[in-house]
Amino acid sequence: MDAIKNQILDNEGASEIDVISMTIPSRPEYVGVIRLTVSAIANRIGFNIEDIEDIKVAVAEACTNAIQHSYNDESNFYVAFEIGIDSLGVIVRDDGKGIKVEDVKEPQLGELKEGGLGIFIIKSLMDEVSFSCEIEKGTEIKMVKFLHENY
Amino acid sequence: MSLVINKNFDEEKNVWDVTLKGEVDIYTANKLKETLIDMVSEKPQDILIDASSLEYIDSTGLGVLIGALKRLKQHDKDIYIRETKINVRKIFNITGLDKIFKLEG
Repeated sequence: MDAIKNQILDNEGASEIDVISMTIPSRPEYVGVIRLTVSAIANRIGFNIEDIEDIKVAVAEACTNAIQHSYNDESNFYVAFEIGIDSLGVIVRDDGKGIKVEDVKEPQLGELKEGGLGIFIIKSLMDEVSFSCEIEKGTEIKMVKFLHENY
Repeated sequence: MSLVINKNFDEEKNVWDVTLKGEVDIYTANKLKETLIDMVSEKPQDILIDASSLEYIDSTGLGVLIGALKRLKQHDKDIYIRETKINVRKIFNITGLDKIFKLEG
């Protein structure tokens, strides 16, 4: 691990991961801003158009969740982009009401439920997804997409 | 970017023609919801959606379409979605909704 780190440090003196953090008002009109932001960052890392589209949708779903769980439109939610050499990690956190992770079920085909699709979409589109959640303390969704070489 | 909705009732074919242009997300989904509910209340007939200019849809948009379809199903009617872009189609596919809505073209 250290060897890899040194190699990366030697390479233009760049650190392993750059982090961009944003605080965003919990209002629907800002989801589009995050979509554009994450597209630009993913493009910078070198993801192809299809992957950028996946990342954009997944991150927007997480932001939508954060806004829906917020107490009011005076609240904020928080997005951090972890820019790796061959990966993009995105953490979306709110300090809203929180959900019970075990309550999130896979949508049943034919059941025609309006809700619960967002988390399912995130899991389908990203390589790694994890949730942490405490009732009354908010929700944090972390997702990672890796840059695959076999383009 | 926002969402532009054009609707027209085709008296000859007895169907609603709807064109969606732009993005359906948490910001614009309500507008679509109100439009579809009004349409179904006015005339509960099949809805044909031209999605050739629909650039983006997320779970809130899918939720609205599911809600409208539920109302239509009470009248034995359907929602047909035409000419989805690849990225939009993918969202229907991974959620299994490609089997619920009539996707064409």
